[in-house]
Amino acid sequence: MTESALFTMAFVLYILSTFVYFASLFARRVKWAGKGLALAGVGLALHTVALVVRTVTSGHAPFTNMYESLSFFAWATVLAFAALDLKFRLPKIGPSVMLIVVALMALASSPLMPKDVIPLVPALQSYWLWLHVSVTLIGEAFFAVAFVASLLYLTADTEEKREKLDSVSYRAVAVGFPLFTLGGLVFGMIWAYKAWGAYWSWDSKEVWSLITWLVFALYLHTRIVMGWKGRRSAVVAIIGFLAAMFTYFGVNYLLTSLHSYR
Amino acid sequence: MAVWKFFSSVKLAIFLIILLTLASVIGTLIPQGRSAEEYAARYGELAGLFVRLQLTDLYRSAWFLALLFLFAVNLTVCTVSRIGPKLRRAFGPASGTDAGSVAATKLRNRLKLAGAPASAAARISKELSSRRYALKTAGRENGAVLLARKRRLGWFGSDAVHFGLLIILAGGIVSGLAGRRSHLALLEGQTADVPHADFRVRLDRFETEYYPEGGVKAWKSTVSVLEDGRPVLTEVVKVNHPLTYRGFHFYQSRYGWDWQNPKLEILVGKMDDPSSSRSVSLKTGERVPVDGPGITHLGVRRFVPDFVLGEGNRVQSRSGEPRNPAALVEAWQGEERVFAGWIFAKFPDFGDGHGDGRAALSFVLKDFQAAQYSVLEAARDPGANLIWVGCLFVTAGFFLAFYWTPREIRVVLEGGSGVTEATLGGFASKGRDAFRSEFEAVCESLRRVL
Repeated sequence: MTESALFTMAFVLYILSTFVYFASLFARRVKWAGKGLALAGVGLALHTVALVVRTVTSGHAPFTNMYESLSFFAWATVLAFAALDLKFRLPKIGPSVMLIVVALMALASSPLMPKDVIPLVPALQSYWLWLHVSVTLIGEAFFAVAFVASLLYLTADTEEKREKLDSVSYRAVAVGFPLFTLGGLVFGMIWAYKAWGAYWSWDSKEVWSLITWLVFALYLHTRIVMGWKGRRSAVVAIIGFLAAMFTYFGVNYLLTSLHSYR
Repeated sequence: MAVWKFFSSVKLAIFLIILLTLASVIGTLIPQGRSAEEYAARYGELAGLFVRLQLTDLYRSAWFLALLFLFAVNLTVCTVSRIGPKLRRAFGPASGTDAGSVAATKLRNRLKLAGAPASAAARISKELSSRRYALKTAGRENGAVLLARKRRLGWFGSDAVHFGLLIILAGGIVSGLAGRRSHLALLEGQTADVPHADFRVRLDRFETEYYPEGGVKAWKSTVSVLEDGRPVLTEVVKVNHPLTYRGFHFYQSRYGWDWQNPKLEILVGKMDDPSSSRSVSLKTGERVPVDGPGITHLGVRRFVPDFVLGEGNRVQSRSGEPRNPAALVEAWQGEERVFAGWIFAKFPDFGDGHGDGRAALSFVLKDFQAAQYSVLEAARDPGANLIWVGCLFVTAGFFLAFYWTPREIRVVLEGGSGVTEATLGGFASKGRDAFRSEFEAVCESLRRVL
């Protein structure tokens, strides 16, 4: 089967999962959330095959242009959510996370994103492409879950819900932050040193990664050392995710950068 | 000491992190290191202010470096002032007063064990050691206190991250002061001195490989290192594959053509008689004799790789790429100039009958060859190794801080000769569910021994 057929099937399953999740939320049937997760899981499996097919046909990592990286980021977000859900049971967060996933898939399938397989330019021909981009995006996928949990925190009506959402947000950051540091900054510096001869050039994408990193450093310090919890923590996590998304999209389209792979 | 106290504050750290974040944002909104004219055009009257505040070279500005310095001092003082108590917490001895703290733990259990406190302590120690706890004992009235800890490095995760960041900042300073970077533009066969080094490099060959679809697959420079004029190492340098020699790295940076001196091939013939066409090879600035048709000499005054008419209709090259190669050609019949005009490789018909000569002649720019040069970046960066060490500490520190949570079990033993009452208290800052099950398993197996 072709990559685009698999991608479409995964997309449809994600949409179905989102519907089932929202139905479970509005009908107050927690059991349906399990079905939502199962649908997302099947979608994830097909999406995984789509990424493998893309890798095999293109001969390179499936995240070298915007279409590919959006698809990979959507995949990573489902993966991050599924991993956290299996551990901590998050039926209430599922609907909004899947909504983000569907939005990412829709953006990826939009005609604005060229889908052709283009051979790798010399700068991207390195195994660091795999390490740098995949680990960074998986880290950011966990930030996405923290973002959703934090947004829901701000609208939650009971103390019990708030406590749970606060702890989910923290746990997602606790996974995402080390991954982002390793993939985005550490692997990024190593690759920059190998490819450009300078581990740090104050390129706008580098600086925005640093900004994202500083915001999450702030999240941890205000939380652990100053005892911030709840509302203020949620706001910092939201800013952090937005900074990560600006690093990911904004820099490519709004600023000049050595990193403008669209 | 007031200064020490000031710098040991986490609030200061948070304040500095916010300032560094905002400064970094500003640095990406204002393009860095551009010309004064560009800033004037972009920001008008504000340009002067921006330059004075060093916002146009922000990341190298005195105030940004000062912020980083304050941040480094803050990090150092915070880490040092907290390390002592942490070391005691992780490696210090048990003490009789630990008994009181057991009452405060969330995870607690009370067991009755057979035998005197000493033998009960031995059994508990055995059980906890088998679970990789490190034990410390302290005596107390009618009993003892056991302090069992594991994954103690977890207490130092944040310190490792902070230490790593300090090393990275130090690496940045070393790179800034001792790093050397230069660009070497080399034609094939050319040799160049490497600045700050006592060896030379030679470009043996440069080639561009293309994909069948047309995109560039690789730029390959075959580079030889020369010591005292003798080649000691030859390697192909590609993007992502630098050559390394005695602390220097050579990167494929850019490439280009030497358009000052191209070899050209021009076809000249009569418009109405294709068989009269002659091929002439020459260089820019040359005027060569031609055996007809209708002319005696042909010359090329100028060549540009990417023809464009600039201000005042002046001919310029838009880029160094051969996107629209053009030659300014002149033809003579004896002493009379019969043709002068631009001809274009991509638009051969353009040379037909133009110029101030006879319309019957046609000129075609058939071929153009220029030597290619490759630009290698030669860099030596003694700070880089510090960066990698710092990264290692940061990464390991994150792992320790988030996933190597220390566990602590304190046991207070009280009793007489026949029976000992043991109170166990467990503490872990994270991963409490996993710890709870371990704690319960410990209590269960102690109970079973009875």
